[in-house]
Amino acid sequence: MPEGLPELDPVVHGKLRLALLSLLVGVEEADFTWLRDKTGSTDGNLGAQMLKLEEAGYVAVQKRFSGRKPQTLYRMTPAGRKALATYVASLKRLLNGAL
Amino acid sequence: MTDFDTPNPPRRDDLVQRIELMEAMIAEGRRATTRFGWIFVMWGLLYYAAIAWEVYLPAPAFAWPVCILLGIAIIQAWRWRLKRSSLPDDGPRSRSISAVWGSVGGAITLFMAAAAISHHIAQQPAVNAAVLFFLGLAHAASAFILRWPAQAAAAAIWWGGGIAVFFVSASASVVVFLVASFFGMILFGLYAMMLERRRAATLVQNHA
Repeated sequence: MPEGLPELDPVVHGKLRLALLSLLVGVEEADFTWLRDKTGSTDGNLGAQMLKLEEAGYVAVQKRFSGRKPQTLYRMTPAGRKALATYVASLKRLLNGAL
Repeated sequence: MTDFDTPNPPRRDDLVQRIELMEAMIAEGRRATTRFGWIFVMWGLLYYAAIAWEVYLPAPAFAWPVCILLGIAIIQAWRWRLKRSSLPDDGPRSRSISAVWGSVGGAITLFMAAAAISHHIAQQPAVNAAVLFFLGLAHAASAFILRWPAQAAAAAIWWGGGIAVFFVSASASVVVFLVASFFGMILFGLYAMMLERRRAATLVQNHA
């Protein structure tokens, strides 16, 4: 990245991860299946990207049973919200003249 | 959808694409109302069914209670199914909108029941006007929450109808109600459903 340009968080910048964070920002929590359906991704890819977001501390995961069905719920953490807000600010700066 | 490396420096069209993706996904997560499009259509059709029953079928006194209870039963069954599914519809906006519509639905039910029991239901224009204003109120509150002009237009239709019934005959007030139901419920619901489908199709295209 040339000097003076804001850095884009690589964890947020990934296309699927960005889509997932954008989905999660509007809901309190979301189920794995819902996120998969909304993004059109595969189970494997979604699981891998959610793990990256979880490792970065941007999402929190909760596993529970809904009746007999196992359910994996994801929730955006305050760190995730902050990361997304910072990413948007950097994106705006890049688009408004820096590029 | 796959990740791709960030060019150094990032390309402008990549960044614009990211913004579009975020907007689409945020809208998908937040615009909970469009998932409820079918409910508006259903209620609009139930209003038509209730009025048709009142006019053409025996036991007209049961028309509204049966149609309203049928609508409530369908929604409760849907909510029960939703709870067992994976849809995250518990966001603050979704809860606010559910609260508005639930409260208005309850108010209309109580109002209609009280009017029927006290035999004031025969004062049709005033009863129609109250229901029209109640429904306009729910649409307006949803429109404010969602900042959605289409729903504000639906609210204007219901409120306009509510005003109009005071200036027309009793039989014409039924027509006003039917017109408002068509534009403010059925057509609005179909529009919401169309938006929902279009958004889903766009998302699939973008992420393929």
